Amino acid sequence: MRHGRFGAVLLAPSLFGLAVFLLLPILVVIWLSLNRWDLLAPMRFVGLDNYVDVLTDPTFGNSMLRTVIFVLSVIPLQTALGLFLAVLLSRGLPGSGVFRVIYVIPWICAPLALGVVWKWILAPYDGALNNLFGLSVEWLSDPAWAMPAVAGVTIWSQVGYTTLFFLAGLAAIPDTLVEAAQLDGASSWQTFWQVKLPLLGPTMFFVLVTGVISAFQAFDQIYALTPNGGPQGTTDVIASRIYLEAFQGGFNLGRASVMALVLFVILVAVTLVQQRFFSDRITYDLS
Amino acid sequence: MTSAEPTRVGGRATAVAPGGVPGVRSVGRRRSPAADVATYLVLLAGALLTLGPFALSFMTAFKSPQQFASEPALTLPKPFTLENFSTLFTGSYSFISPIAVTAQMVAVILVGQLVFSIMAAYAFAKLRFRGRDALFWVYLATLMIPQVVIVIPLYVMMVQTGMRNTFWALVLPFMFGSPYAVFLLREHFRSIPDDLIDAARIDGAGDWRILWQIVVPLSRGIVSTLAIITIVSHWNNFMWPLIITTGRDWQVITVATANLQSQYNANWTLVMAATTVAMAPLLVLFGIFQRTIVESISLTGFK
Repeated sequence: MRHGRFGAVLLAPSLFGLAVFLLLPILVVIWLSLNRWDLLAPMRFVGLDNYVDVLTDPTFGNSMLRTVIFVLSVIPLQTALGLFLAVLLSRGLPGSGVFRVIYVIPWICAPLALGVVWKWILAPYDGALNNLFGLSVEWLSDPAWAMPAVAGVTIWSQVGYTTLFFLAGLAAIPDTLVEAAQLDGASSWQTFWQVKLPLLGPTMFFVLVTGVISAFQAFDQIYALTPNGGPQGTTDVIASRIYLEAFQGGFNLGRASVMALVLFVILVAVTLVQQRFFSDRITYDLS
Repeated sequence: MTSAEPTRVGGRATAVAPGGVPGVRSVGRRRSPAADVATYLVLLAGALLTLGPFALSFMTAFKSPQQFASEPALTLPKPFTLENFSTLFTGSYSFISPIAVTAQMVAVILVGQLVFSIMAAYAFAKLRFRGRDALFWVYLATLMIPQVVIVIPLYVMMVQTGMRNTFWALVLPFMFGSPYAVFLLREHFRSIPDDLIDAARIDGAGDWRILWQIVVPLSRGIVSTLAIITIVSHWNNFMWPLIITTGRDWQVITVATANLQSQYNANWTLVMAATTVAMAPLLVLFGIFQRTIVESISLTGFK
């Protein structure tokens, strides 16, 4: 125990932060979910009423549906495009390093600011897209286009980030394995699908888990592009619903807390399911 | 956090055939000019799509509202004007204050996160005390807690303690270090040999001196990575500042940009000046440290 005191001093600030700003909020959100409260009137304990209320509410059902559509639009495209660009960059042509840097640029910028930039590009009358192609589509206020637009902007801003991980994964595959396959007569197409892709298992796991988790929480760019849930609630994803429920429209803290907890459970489940799915497939440890 | 090894990828050297046996061609690197051209075309298209929106928004920021209204988006600013920026920084919009608030907020969070995460990580990596591994497990478990889930209780806590719409509300939740930073630093500190620390102790260095003058300088790489992560994610943070501040006093740059856009929806030249200002500091930072930043991302997968 000779380090007892020094250790306590080292850990104290971080433990304080962890306890007060991460663990305590979890307890508070559970407590809030069991009460009806708008910050003004006295708090009223209502047991599971908020849960019944939220889980039978069509608005919440719509939000869950919109979130799933958003995640299922963003993740496959973002992953496939990222992998495709990584494969092209991994051919090592001169200048590949410059492209790699360019692709990451959107990722370094505030999603809110990028959302505002795209809000102009997609604006119906004076926006750049309609202007350039002579169109007159209401990208952000037409219920048919709002979700594709929001998903497209998200993919645009994240592909480069995904590319980086696949590049690192591809570079970690030993050349000898690829060469052995090619000496056996495999084409580059076969080598990709049967040698490289299986070996990218751990990278794929990382990219999918972090991608899905962040897509479930997407808020900033959606808030900028289509505030208040979008046209006819078509982009009313869960994070935007929680925000609207808690902070715009009467401080329904109990209901918003239930939604936050539902999201939390979903995210933990997603992580565990993906972990299980990939644990059989990870054949080559990159770490 | 199974991130792949940070490897230089871009200009990777061509592999030599194993053993370098003469006459054995390096089969992994067959080249066909047609494939190379196709690759470049796709990569170029990707670069254009990536940079296009930036170029368009910067061009718009330097146009006069009259030119914006009368000419297509692709025309260059003529006359090139700083009018939008001067409007942005003066009068009722006053973007000076949001920049100052954001810079202060990022600075305080940066120092706090680095100092307190380094301290905790060192305790987990090099000290022996009861319950250490169980406690570290708790830190790892908190990595699963998403921000959206805790903003409501944090908001209530800030209201109850009278800290809503104060500078403290912006920084307190983030300035005591993050479990993720502790996790990354601990991995690195563990690789520093105990002999080195023992030798310093024999030479008379105290615990604090060993930490700040030996361990931290040996970890410059990972510490600068963490610094970049912290700066980028807090400069760009939107949801928490949006919720916890009202009015102009403690408005950060992202919230100011969002408000400007919703108030002056049609005034796109002004709004694009605002997004340019909001993004410029990080773009400059990226320009200077692009290599470190790109490698930090593949090393840590930060978000």
